[in-house]
Amino acid sequence: MSAVIKFEHYSWKYTRTKVPALQDINLEIEEGALVGIIGPNDSGKTTLAYSMNGLIPNQYYGVRSGSVYVMGKEVKEYRQAELCQRVGLVFSDPEAQFTAMTVEDEVVFGMENLGLSIEEIERRLEWVVPLTDIGPLMDKPPYEVSGGQKQRVALASVLAMQPPILVLDEPTSMLDPIGRKKVFEVLRRLKEEYKSTIVVIEHSLEHLVPLADHMVLVHNGKVLLADETEPFFERMDFLMEHDVFPPGVMEFFFQLRLLGHYPNSLPLPRTLEEGTERLREMLVGGENG
Amino acid sequence: MADNNVYVKVENLTYHYPDGTVALTDVSLDIHHGEFIALIGQNGSGKTTLSKCLNGLFKPTKGRVIVDGLDTRHSSITDLATKVGYVFQNPDHQIFNNTVWKEIAYGPRNIQLPEDEVKARVEESARVVGLDPSLFETHPFFLPKGIRQRVAIASILALRPKMIIVDEPTTGQDVKQSLEIMDFLKMLHEEKGHIVVIITHDMPIVGLYAKRTIVMAQGRILADGSTREVFSHPEVLEKTFVEPPQITRLAQMNADLGFSKDVMSVPEMVAQFRRIAGE
Amino acid sequence: MNKTILGYVPEESPIYSLHPFVRVYFLMVVSLWPMIISSPEWNFALIVVMLILLEYSRVTLSTLKLYVPVSISMGVLILLSYTILGGRHPEFYEVFNLLGVPIYFERIVAAVEVYMRILPMIFVMVFFLSTSRERDILVAMRWARVPFTVTYLVAMSLRAVGMVIEDFSIVRQAEKARGYDPKGKSIPYKLRQFVMYIIPLMGLAIRRSEEFSNALVARGYSFTGLRRVKRPDYVLTKYHFKVLDGVIVAILSVALIALVYARYGLGLFTLEGSLTMKWLQQWLVGGAG
Repeated sequence: MSAVIKFEHYSWKYTRTKVPALQDINLEIEEGALVGIIGPNDSGKTTLAYSMNGLIPNQYYGVRSGSVYVMGKEVKEYRQAELCQRVGLVFSDPEAQFTAMTVEDEVVFGMENLGLSIEEIERRLEWVVPLTDIGPLMDKPPYEVSGGQKQRVALASVLAMQPPILVLDEPTSMLDPIGRKKVFEVLRRLKEEYKSTIVVIEHSLEHLVPLADHMVLVHNGKVLLADETEPFFERMDFLMEHDVFPPGVMEFFFQLRLLGHYPNSLPLPRTLEEGTERLREMLVGGENG
Repeated sequence: MADNNVYVKVENLTYHYPDGTVALTDVSLDIHHGEFIALIGQNGSGKTTLSKCLNGLFKPTKGRVIVDGLDTRHSSITDLATKVGYVFQNPDHQIFNNTVWKEIAYGPRNIQLPEDEVKARVEESARVVGLDPSLFETHPFFLPKGIRQRVAIASILALRPKMIIVDEPTTGQDVKQSLEIMDFLKMLHEEKGHIVVIITHDMPIVGLYAKRTIVMAQGRILADGSTREVFSHPEVLEKTFVEPPQITRLAQMNADLGFSKDVMSVPEMVAQFRRIAGE
Repeated sequence: MNKTILGYVPEESPIYSLHPFVRVYFLMVVSLWPMIISSPEWNFALIVVMLILLEYSRVTLSTLKLYVPVSISMGVLILLSYTILGGRHPEFYEVFNLLGVPIYFERIVAAVEVYMRILPMIFVMVFFLSTSRERDILVAMRWARVPFTVTYLVAMSLRAVGMVIEDFSIVRQAEKARGYDPKGKSIPYKLRQFVMYIIPLMGLAIRRSEEFSNALVARGYSFTGLRRVKRPDYVLTKYHFKVLDGVIVAILSVALIALVYARYGLGLFTLEGSLTMKWLQQWLVGGAG
């Protein structure tokens, strides 16, 4: 597989701050992969996302060094409009990214900017509206749509542009637990059916971990650890030292491992179902099917 | 019904928005001294509306809300503000002054306390939330979000309300920050004797901190009881788009092996595992 | 009812079957009528017509209460500025003397005339705001081929106003939660409190404008490049300008021309020919002239 996004010795410092937001980042994101980026607030995750779609350096003042390649071309070489078609970005604040007077206008706005035909817009609406479950909201103005609903609208408006690479910055922070689950269900379908490359920044790992092919830990502007999901979580001591809180089931099996109840040779379960299976193997023996 | 321990009494509360939308229907509940409550439910289920009725920001359309003996319909905003504090989700909505000191002093000055009392309260509240006095003359706007949130809480505490309601304390925070904020609310609850009510979508946080959980759906109370009991009925929670924490669900899926349905944390689950494996 | 920035619109209304352009055109043309008509009774007739239209459009008439204080204070303002603050004019007929200030008949007449012109204009405006949402204004402009940049600027200002109004209501609640009670406080005190709102509102605006412009850029809309792909207009395709719409626009236009001719060509609808004015003269001057 080839890397669709590649950071090479990339650093960025905002003019207004003393410390660089990102320092010497080397990172490759493979085509079709779902990559989870985690780390504490203010560690540089959002800056990393902005560097992928050209908001940095185009919209911000700062000092840049090293390079970022999107589909083989340096970000600086792109025209912004062209880059937006390749990298779709869903922002973390749903209030400020709602720019139109109805949900429908909002979802259609990006597609109109791409110059799509009316038929194509209709076709994509028919796909994206049920996918993100925003049908009943289409006529509503922004002030009648809750924060969580706005997040689904934001996702829909970016999906409608059908970028091959999708970057989501805390896309579910204001959703209720099931709404959150549904958004990750959408991401799963995009990954499986449309082979999209997806980068997700998230604090709540329960839904991210089962889906992610790769995980990246960002801390104080540096990539501390980047690996495939399974080996990534085998470094649990290191992760917990850096304030990563794994999903409950994973943490439980890690604790069992520390107590000698769960072997090092088995990976830590990533889902509830996997956890249940392991638990039954351990307590009931091999009788499970 | 004369229960001295009741701080807030909600009786058959119905609330309609000015445009006629029904937000709450016939809600009744009591909140007692010493409680730590989580208010959960789907977006738009009425959690926020209910909490705003508790401090008189919204007045009941029907029914009544009695806070420490005061009927919210007939009480002044000033009196109610000293009974129930409300911390809004976004600290930027509640910062009115150009220095941290004035910001915390704003509430006490509104209720017309003498200046020496105002000073004492500002210093005390800042100490409780861990704000360094060197920040007193800083403009709150330029502080990081975590600190702004502390300023917001300090400025509510300066009114010394018995009960404080915190809207979505952990939204937009990373897990470590969330735990810090919750530990701080727990300290207010345990050491300072405040009644704490949080409105949240974060179920692991509810499991770790709230003793009582009230589940809202479509403007009504769907379930109300100890958090353990409420989380033991995932089928009820599902109706309002909520599910118990993952570790609780693991225990519930393996209840037949002897795990209890109300496990709230990983250490509890580990203890149960050792008991079951040891048998 | 559905909320809009400035009020409420009914869920269902026969008026919705008209093209948004017709509604905007109605607002623009009919609010000109009172400027042409001088005689108060004809303007009063227009108010009655507007009330019938409001009722027909299923607007909840109780929402009109919102506009009562505005109308009354406007009336008082006009009466005061024309009479007490109107200066000395020995050539006018003095109806009575208020503590040394002469109140002239001509001035009262002028005040009544002006007020009776403004009232129907308010009603036309209210009718528009009670039957149209923000989106209708945009659709009307886009339908009339107003350049996209202009309609988009209008849309953004509407969105910005909406955001500020929403923030404002939360800020006011936050202030109440801090024990601020405006009841029984002096006006300067209230004014000072009002100035204090500006601090959080400005803060929010600054933080959001950054994200707002990021969201626009990420959706492929660049402010600088005027040479862009031709934008399709998906939303417009959902509205159809029907025969009835054309007929109404024609009637409104013809009526405007006819009115101008009647007033300035035939000398109808004048103050001199007005029954109200004759009656006022009888009552205040006693036929003396």
